[in-house]
Amino acid sequence: MPAIRAQDVTKRYGSVTAVDRIDLTVEEGEVFGFLGHNGAGKSTTINMLLDFARPTKGTIEVFGKDCQADSVAARKHMGVLPEGYAVYDSLTGREHIEFAMESKGVEGEPFDVLDRLDITHAADRPAGGYSKGMAQRLVLGMALVGNPDLLVLDEPTSGLDPNGAKAMREIIREENERGTTVFFSSHVLEQVEAVADRVGIMHHGTLAAVDTIEGLRETAGGGTKLLITVDTPDEAHIETIEATEGVDSAWLDEDGQFVVTCEDDAKLDVLVALDERGVDVVDFSTEEASLEDLFVEYTRGTA
Amino acid sequence: MSWRPIARREFADVIEGRSMRIGMAFVAFVFVAGGYVAGGSTSGDVATYASQLSGLVPLVVTVFALLVGYRAIVADRAAGRLTLLLTLPHSRWDVLAGKFAARGTVIVGSILAGLLVGGWLVSYPFGTVDGVTFLVYLGATLLFALALFAISLALSTLTASPRRATVGAFAVIVAVLFWRNLRGTFARVLDALGLATPAGGLPDWALFVYGAEPSLVYDRIVEGFVVGRETGTFLGPDAPWYLGGEVAVLLLFAWFVGPLVGGYRRFRGTDL
Repeated sequence: MPAIRAQDVTKRYGSVTAVDRIDLTVEEGEVFGFLGHNGAGKSTTINMLLDFARPTKGTIEVFGKDCQADSVAARKHMGVLPEGYAVYDSLTGREHIEFAMESKGVEGEPFDVLDRLDITHAADRPAGGYSKGMAQRLVLGMALVGNPDLLVLDEPTSGLDPNGAKAMREIIREENERGTTVFFSSHVLEQVEAVADRVGIMHHGTLAAVDTIEGLRETAGGGTKLLITVDTPDEAHIETIEATEGVDSAWLDEDGQFVVTCEDDAKLDVLVALDERGVDVVDFSTEEASLEDLFVEYTRGTA
Repeated sequence: MSWRPIARREFADVIEGRSMRIGMAFVAFVFVAGGYVAGGSTSGDVATYASQLSGLVPLVVTVFALLVGYRAIVADRAAGRLTLLLTLPHSRWDVLAGKFAARGTVIVGSILAGLLVGGWLVSYPFGTVDGVTFLVYLGATLLFALALFAISLALSTLTASPRRATVGAFAVIVAVLFWRNLRGTFARVLDALGLATPAGGLPDWALFVYGAEPSLVYDRIVEGFVVGRETGTFLGPDAPWYLGGEVAVLLLFAWFVGPLVGGYRRFRGTDL
């Protein structure tokens, strides 16, 4: 049984389509990275997983439980680190963990969880005084209570310093080794690349690509990146470049260089096409395309 | 039964607040003080107790119930605590039931404590307390408080903005307290429309509508069943049945159940 199964899921807010006909299956035991810019529809999708938002169309299931009709049963499988939460100011860290235990109906020692997240020293302090990073670890601790089958982490490393982000990745790995499925979102490619088995790239509410890291690398590696410097860069030239056969896409980077991803043998054609338009090519170079370029290519125009 | 952890946590949180404790003490004090005064004379009984408090109780209970309830959901929602809470396996019903139980306990507890001490003071040293009448007064007052609390809780589910909830709570308090002053205005409006009685008063159907406001309903129950009044446009012998005390009890129940059902349906159906 898949850990997450979304079928034809659409969410509209008025005339805005936040999520557009998503089909996604996350298998049990995998680490799935949900990548995309802020506003791409990642959080809306996670909110539908948690029944915070209801799909306009389509269904989402977690371990076979419908996330809307049978939301509590679905959430019994999940441990969640949501986005935009607040802790209870007057409760201590330990009381937060105890509350999660009580809610999930599990017995246990709160300090086992607090130790693991390295916040034992603050266990008896009100969580209202915690830093963002400590609160983030505390809520992850609440998520881990009861050894959930599925960890859902929405931007888990936001607000964490590099050490905290590293610790977060380690916990994701450890949990995964115990058999927990992990579904986490991020707008930072490196985070996803470091731990995910598979990646889904969200863009403008659609799932632009779903593949393994290796698969994406192959896709990226199959092409070449051409960097062209011209004397007077103009957005209008992008059309000229993209009209050339064998060109995947082209854009203007911050330095005023054209970046073109294309098949190997289309490089010269691009230069010729520009020349025919009377564009003066000052310099050009080629690079092998990276995962980053692929991400940029899938999500261009929103950053 | 997973509303229990929510209720326990909420209760501990609510009674920690200083202003909340002052409010609870004040409400209890009002009922105690009324009992002290009524118990000062040999003719003191539950009816005099209720009459003495009739001017003050609707005001105090309305304000208290609104203040206890209006932030219950919306404050947690705006801050993001509801987001955290609902990542745990709780339904929206659990959340509402937990909040209702915790904050309802605060309201019921304050009034109950005040009325029990007040009732004892009515009987001591000079007055007398009839058990049944006292229980009716207690029940009516608690139901009135819970109805207002239900309204404030419903209000708290209607909006994601604490500021709007504050404005709404203030509007409810003003509406409940000023409604009874509008009788003359209604009569004039109906008179202008040619719908008033020949004497220029409210016809029976309009009296029903006007009298359906919760504090007037509560007044009617107390006057009809506790004080024992049998005169006036509502409780007099010529009044139609639907203006009487029995229907008033049903109306007060409706004010309790209606907002709760509406608030729950709204809360269940909304995106956070």
